Amino acid sequence: MLRSGHAACPGCVLALSLRHILNTLGPETMAVAAPSCAALICGAQPCSSMKIPVYQTTLESSAAAASGLRRALDTKGKQDTTVVVIAGDGGTYDIGFQALSSAVERNEDMIYFCFDNEGYMNTGGQKSSATPLYASTGSTPAGKLSKKKNLTEIMAAHEIPYAATASAAHLADLVRKVEKAKGIRGTRIITVLIPCLPGWGLPDDEAIATARLAVDTGVFPLYEVEEGQRYTLNQTTRTRPVKDYLMTQKRYRHLSAEDRDEIQLMVDRNWTRLAERSATS
Amino acid sequence: MNQAVRAIWTHESTEVIKTGSWRLALPAYVNLPAPCHKACPVEGNIAVWIQSVENQEYRDAWLTLIENNPFPAVTGRICHRPCEDSCNRGQLDEPIAIRCLERFVGDLAIDNGWAFPETAASKTETIAIVGGGPAGLAAAFHLRRMGYAVTLFDDQQQLGGVLRYGIPPYRLPKDILDAEIQRILDLGIDVRTNTRISSQTDFENLRAEFAAVFMATGAAVPKRLPQLDYSQPWVIESATYLEQTNSGDHAQCGERIVVIGGGSAAMDVARTARRQGKEVAVICLETETAMPAQRDEVLEAMDEGVTLIDGVMLRSVTDRALKGLELACVKVEFEAGAERGEFSVNSIAGTEFTIDADTIVAAIGQDPDITTLQDSLDVEAGLVRVDEQQQTSIAGVFAGGDLVTMQRFVTVAFGFGKRAATEIDRYLRSSTSASDSTPEQAVSTDMINTHYHPQAARAKQQMVPVAERQVSFDEVELALPGDEALAESQRCFSCGNCTFCDNCFDYCPDMAIKRENGGYRVNDDYCKGCGLCVRECPTGAIVMRQER
Ligand SMILES: Cc1cc2nc3c(=O)[nH]c(=O)nc-3n(C[C@H](O)[C@H](O)[C@H](O)COP(=O)(O)OP(=O)(O)OC[C@H]3O[C@@H](n4cnc5c(N)ncnc54)[C@H](O)[C@@H]3O)c2cc1C
Ligand SMILES: Cc1ncc(C[n+]2csc(CCOP(=O)(O)OP(=O)(O)O)c2C)c(N)n1
Ligand code: SF4
Ligand code: SF4
Ligand code: SF4
Ligand SMILES: [Mg+2]
Repeated sequence: MLRSGHAACPGCVLALSLRHILNTLGPETMAVAAPSCAALICGAQPCSSMKIPVYQTTLESSAAAASGLRRALDTKGKQDTTVVVIAGDGGTYDIGFQALSSAVERNEDMIYFCFDNEGYMNTGGQKSSATPLYASTGSTPAGKLSKKKNLTEIMAAHEIPYAATASAAHLADLVRKVEKAKGIRGTRIITVLIPCLPGWGLPDDEAIATARLAVDTGVFPLYEVEEGQRYTLNQTTRTRPVKDYLMTQKRYRHLSAEDRDEIQLMVDRNWTRLAERSATS
Repeated sequence: MNQAVRAIWTHESTEVIKTGSWRLALPAYVNLPAPCHKACPVEGNIAVWIQSVENQEYRDAWLTLIENNPFPAVTGRICHRPCEDSCNRGQLDEPIAIRCLERFVGDLAIDNGWAFPETAASKTETIAIVGGGPAGLAAAFHLRRMGYAVTLFDDQQQLGGVLRYGIPPYRLPKDILDAEIQRILDLGIDVRTNTRISSQTDFENLRAEFAAVFMATGAAVPKRLPQLDYSQPWVIESATYLEQTNSGDHAQCGERIVVIGGGSAAMDVARTARRQGKEVAVICLETETAMPAQRDEVLEAMDEGVTLIDGVMLRSVTDRALKGLELACVKVEFEAGAERGEFSVNSIAGTEFTIDADTIVAAIGQDPDITTLQDSLDVEAGLVRVDEQQQTSIAGVFAGGDLVTMQRFVTVAFGFGKRAATEIDRYLRSSTSASDSTPEQAVSTDMINTHYHPQAARAKQQMVPVAERQVSFDEVELALPGDEALAESQRCFSCGNCTFCDNCFDYCPDMAIKRENGGYRVNDDYCKGCGLCVRECPTGAIVMRQER
């Protein structure tokens, strides 16, 4: 469903994730793309890498545009066509946030994919509200001083039918979540962590290893929330210290041991909270 | 006006953009050797047959094994397993228990009566093999499979050499040995046992009668200690002792036995004597961990009640008649030399002591019998000299095994047999040797993505309880149960040997890996050279190659 010849950087797991997501969704799918790396991968006029129709909209409006597309399809009796949004973190956590929040509030029938590379990457790597604490970006060269927003929790607070995190390093889990989302009606959101090779300072062959470390260290836990209530943690343990994840990325090169300890504590807290919710729901 | 409206929807595929032009390096599927394979004296394609075990295709595993070694049930028991020392998995947790798995497959073949596949079409030449030990039997097998007629001479009543007359049944049961030898004989081999090729005339006749000759008469002449009077009834050679006990006779000896030597033969004598209820001490020059015997053998011997007195030298023996022998010993500093078998010792003054005994068994090594051979063939340092093609100084006469090397191991002898067959075939077919091809680098641990190989403990060798071992010649090491063999096979990284796991295919962001003819191909139109496929390969079967 994704064609070769697209414009993703060599080794980019955004393209890889898109490939497996599209293959899982199948041909009865239409996409709305917000300006982002994902949109660039879809292709520039007149070429498309996607074997499904894609509507490229503005950074603010992807969820609104998808709502419109959904209604148009419903009017034509095409309830079986899956409508998806593909957007970056900037277009989700920041600039498209209001459109997304309202769409979820209306429980529009769509799957929203947020490819979270933790910054405005196709425009050269500026910080977004998804950029983690202390990460260096083009606009925060000395490291960002505020924490990353927790999108999945915000979505859970909307009592969205389905919210999940996923990773290209766990392809079977990603595919399962896409299938599961496809079987649910209403708004669903899947956030896929995308280690960005130039943005994070990684060698071309390291994105999967990094995505795997994000999960193994608990920096990016794999979990699902249904109706904002039922939490399922998809991994039972964390097997490595956060340091292992931070040390391989150039964007964290300036960190002191204390900085790393602080991030470890933050990750520990988040993990404990998730584990509790998962155990009690 | 009929002007065309410019489409605002896409109507072309990105496939027209050949992103392969971005690339600096291209992945390539390779089939590099695993380090275990390179370390194995018969180059046993270990990764391949272990993968068959993993797929529970046991007969395939056996067929791969016997390509290089017709005795997997023997090596699966007594090989010195250099493969395990070089196993890549050893750097993650513990090496694969290759020998245990080999025995598992070898025993299955015997239990199920699997026969060797058809031999190649018959060739006209007949090859003479002198010596029916491991080197000679392996050569017979490989030559016969190539279609040659083989005549095998041995001076003993039964074939097997050291495997039969040296190594005791509690390490290598005779029914196992018999089964693996019989399978070779079933290929149709003209066996002449009780036939000693001893004179120069015998040798000349062989050369005249046969297209080629392979000499594999082993090393059966015991080295002698100047400190011992070998004419005394209380001195016995290890070979004599083992041959007698292995044939069911009891060697004439007293109750207190001292074995001199630190190799496999010394351990075999000591453990055999324990089984006959004797009090046994082993004295050797080396310190315990430097002994040439396999470590397991030493530990098993001590478990069975053998006393080890390491790092000492025998100086003299006094026969005190009814009171028995008194052995005067001294502690020594032992230093191994560059070659196996070479060493220097320094006695440590003031450390003299004595040991009481009734019988001494000397097991300090053996040399080949070259008394008649040296009239015809070049010899060097007591061994028959061979070139890289294993040919002696006479064209058409090849040699191998203990006769030509100080590497005194069963699997080394099997390797000699295998290579001799190949070289004899080349000699007779006048084809050139392949030895000019550059040796390939083995797969290293950093080429393996160990994420796909979760931690798992190595299979544990189970043993018969010590109390039972001390009174029986039954096999000491127990077979690996089927489920444990399967679990052990799953631990193998399959170094350099694609397992068709699809990772390279699945992890390509550019859809540049194609499944094709049951394998994979890189589409260089679109491969951007990121290397993710290589990085995520669990077996090291794919590498990046610089292009520009
Ligand atoms: C007690 C003992 C234990 C050992 N344990 C191990 C072990 O655990 N693991 C290991 O890897 N190695 C072990 N070894 C070493 C290993 O057995 C030898 O390296 C191996 O057997 C050599 O094989 P070969 O075919 O060269 O010689 P041999 O096994 O000696 O076979 C030579 C054959 O040639 C015959 N022969 C000799 N002269 C003539 C002649 N003139 N005419 C006709 N036939 C003749 C002999 O009867 C014999 O059958 C052990 C050796 C000994 C002595
Ligand atoms: C309102 C608005 N501001 C700025 C831009 C320019 N712009 C296009 S894409 C982009 C970055 C988007 O970042 P993100 O959504 O995280 O996607 P990524 O490129 O990281 O995949 C920006 C700033 C725009 N299109 N619209
Ligand atoms: S023959 Fe020996 S070295 Fe070769 S695979 Fe078997 S145990 Fe290992
Ligand atoms: S992991 Fe398997 S293939 Fe690799 S060296 Fe060890 S036994 Fe051989
Ligand atoms: S990744 Fe898997 S399929 Fe690809 S070469 Fe390696 S072992 Fe074979
Ligand atoms: Mg982004």
